[in-house]
Amino acid sequence: MTLFFLGLGLILAGGAFAWLLQRTRIADSVFALLVSLGCAAALIPAAGVLGGRTVAGVAWDLGPPTGIWAFDIDALSALFVAVVLGVGLAAVLYGISYLAPEREHRSVGGTHFLTALFLVAMALVVTARATIPFLIAWELMALSAYLLVVFEDEQREVRRAGLIYLAATHIGTLALVAMFALWGTHAGGFTFDAFSRSALPAGAGAAVLSLALLGFGFKAGLVPLHFWLPGAHAAAPSHISALMSGVMIKTGIYGLLRVISLIGGAPPWWSWTVLALGALSGVLGVLWALAQHDLKRLLAYHSIENIGIILLGVGTGALGIAYGRPALALLGFAGAVLHTANHAVFKSLLFMGAGTVFRATGTRAMDRLGGLARHMPLTWILFLIGSVAIVGLPPLNGFVSEWLVFLGMLQAGAALGPVRAAVLGAGVLALIGGLALACFAKVGGVVFLGEPRSESAAKGREAGPGYIAPMAALALACVAIGLLAPPAVRIALEVAATVAGAAGPARQDVIAPLTAAASGITVVSGGLVVLIGLAWAWRRMLERRRPSAWTETWACGYNGVAGRMQYTAASYAAPLLAAFARLSGIRVARAPGAFHTHPFDLVLERLVLPTWRRMAGTAEAIRPLQQGRLQTYLLYIVGVLLALLLYLWLGGAA
Amino acid sequence: MIAWTAIPALLLVLVVAPLLPGIATKTKSWLTGRRGPPVLQLYFDLGKLWRKRSTYSRTTTWMFRLAPLALLVTSVGAACLLPLDGRSALLGFRGDFIAFASLLAVGRFALVLAGLDTGSSFEGMGASRDATFATFAEPALFLGFVTLFLISGNLSLTGMLGVGAGLLSAWIGGGGHAAPALALITISLFLVLLAETSRVPVDDPATHLELTMIHEVIVLDHSGPDLACILYSSAVKLAVLGALVVGVLVPRTALPAPLTGLVFTGGLVLVAVAIGIVESVMARLRLSRVPQFLVAAAVLSTLGALLVLVR
Repeated sequence: MTLFFLGLGLILAGGAFAWLLQRTRIADSVFALLVSLGCAAALIPAAGVLGGRTVAGVAWDLGPPTGIWAFDIDALSALFVAVVLGVGLAAVLYGISYLAPEREHRSVGGTHFLTALFLVAMALVVTARATIPFLIAWELMALSAYLLVVFEDEQREVRRAGLIYLAATHIGTLALVAMFALWGTHAGGFTFDAFSRSALPAGAGAAVLSLALLGFGFKAGLVPLHFWLPGAHAAAPSHISALMSGVMIKTGIYGLLRVISLIGGAPPWWSWTVLALGALSGVLGVLWALAQHDLKRLLAYHSIENIGIILLGVGTGALGIAYGRPALALLGFAGAVLHTANHAVFKSLLFMGAGTVFRATGTRAMDRLGGLARHMPLTWILFLIGSVAIVGLPPLNGFVSEWLVFLGMLQAGAALGPVRAAVLGAGVLALIGGLALACFAKVGGVVFLGEPRSESAAKGREAGPGYIAPMAALALACVAIGLLAPPAVRIALEVAATVAGAAGPARQDVIAPLTAAASGITVVSGGLVVLIGLAWAWRRMLERRRPSAWTETWACGYNGVAGRMQYTAASYAAPLLAAFARLSGIRVARAPGAFHTHPFDLVLERLVLPTWRRMAGTAEAIRPLQQGRLQTYLLYIVGVLLALLLYLWLGGAA
Repeated sequence: MIAWTAIPALLLVLVVAPLLPGIATKTKSWLTGRRGPPVLQLYFDLGKLWRKRSTYSRTTTWMFRLAPLALLVTSVGAACLLPLDGRSALLGFRGDFIAFASLLAVGRFALVLAGLDTGSSFEGMGASRDATFATFAEPALFLGFVTLFLISGNLSLTGMLGVGAGLLSAWIGGGGHAAPALALITISLFLVLLAETSRVPVDDPATHLELTMIHEVIVLDHSGPDLACILYSSAVKLAVLGALVVGVLVPRTALPAPLTGLVFTGGLVLVAVAIGIVESVMARLRLSRVPQFLVAAAVLSTLGALLVLVR
């Protein structure tokens, strides 16, 4: 634990140096060095726990008002610490290069400090073992994220996105405060230990679980609590988007898993709700993503989709506990945690890719991009790796975790009783996978392939090593987890066992055969890579014997492909959007010679904003009372006193 | 996990695969009173294309040249995961059916990207349609696998279709509603096959108008050995999905070994004939109707799953 706190201290110190020294040339190097050291130091205990060792937790009694401050790293915490600091380090290093061009007119050092604070807060959230430190870290995380989102606060859109985020996150925090208050009153203490020892009465348990779903659901961004997410993620600088989308929203998943493990399971109604919300988030997230024209907003909606997939795993696992099927619980939770880690890696990679494209071309509008593969070959390959991973295809990591979630759902079908119905979720997961494939083929094809659609896209040039290296590290992680499926699956199952509270032979009965089955994935993925490599070499050999000819695109004899004649992102997505218009609420408007899709957020624009406007309208009615003039308020006081006196005089006191 | 005994059946499929589109076309020709091209036409085409050189557009990148190879490797890879001899697959493990579907998806992903790589609107159109229809086919395929899992209790394709699947007893009445469920998913898988291999009523391989094409238009710019790869991969994909339908319809574990190969080949030929019959008796659907067609396939699969679920 000492090493862990030392690491966090180093990260903070790095941030402070970056802020204080920001006018000097060494600021960036010092920042990078200290954060790297800090992350490495804090990752050592986490890696140890994932490798099977244990860490002694710490607890300090600080007396009133805050009480006991306890921190600990178990397998669940260790996995999330690894995600926070591993992906966080890549994002910080990328951020140094990404923010360098802004150095002239903004406080880049301050932003670096906030980023360091953001990382430390997230690491504390997933290790805290008492209410007060948890909530303090939670708020620190939310507020530093807010300050990072409004980095470009001269833009109206950015300020609006920041405000919506701030409001949403605090509604979530409110729910969490209520949850902890209720739980603490019943448990007779506010440490997580006290929570796990106490048995909640059914009514209070239901209330705690509902509040947890609301509070952590806001952070995770599940539909319909997602409305803050796309705006905030698109508005933030790209490395912050990577951190928020890849890591921060996962603290919501951590919270749900922690609550499940502390209560020791959840009743069926809650598990089914989570499963249904997961299916809804998955399908709607990817459908809304398809309709986006802005690269970063599209990626943000895909985070909602992936949270949906993770929740399908969480729901399956919770069903396993509720219906007494330990194998099901292990598989579901394992799929959820592995997909959490995987999504952190490839979504950060994709956001960094989007940031690199933005820096090279100055635009995020997909219909103004195109043909970037020619001048940005490395960025394209790295973005492609992220795309294949997020679609869940072999040979990369997304496939391994989706495989686990699928198996979890099928495992439900092997049981008896109502839990069997969860097997139909496999169809939903397949639909999500198909839609994600269509969407990322669109992103890759429209942004990187074909001809440039605008001047700025034609200008795009490859980014420097400061951009490429962090992305390459994440891409390498995608490949490694994809090819080394057995150890990844085993670690995920061990983590799942701590959530499910499963122990002993029952646990080994599940882990051993699944780890063996995962080696089949290694064979498929490895075979795919090797065979495609061989086929490529063989084809090029053949080409040397019969050299290929190079000419214009055929296009049915019409020579003269122009950038603007190509299929756009909107035209590509139109058939799918038209087919799902009822469900997603997005209409494809057709007119002679033109059609367009207007990507809008169903929940934000139909539900949240109208409700807010009505509330503001009602408040308008009592506004004349508040005039800010001292005399008026004195009049109110006199009036109230008179009313009270009148009340007493009339004998109300009796 | 690896069964070398599966290799003869695998080689058989790889060799006879180009025959199947020929048989489908011949059937269609007979039924419409024409002579039609020889059954071996695809072999001739492949040979001719193989001797040519490829022509590439200057707009394209390595993605365009990678796609045919990715398609070839993934189609053959999918064949390795299916118990083609009715007993066991070359490679089998828990959840290999997910890898089966994902391999086919990798090939499609590469092809769609290759289409967008040309910068031509025709190929963009094909890419969009291919991705759209594949999205609808995916749930039908997976729910078919779910049904097979619920019947056999096995999570690998070998266990679902080959040794130990008990499909034969399921067909002849053992185990509640298994037989009707199997019938439903056989139909559903056949519909998926029609969509995935670009056949009527989803796509018309004989069309001459680019605006109405799907598969043909996405490969409009491929030529020479690259086109040969794509045509051969499509034939293998047809054989693989055909083998899946035959595997569900005709459980062969009880048959003596020499007979299984014969029955299997006969089954594949029948699937090709069925495709030809469908192509002669109905026209292709309007593009906006295709999703409904595939949703129908998914509904059939779901019904199949529900039948065994509520046993």
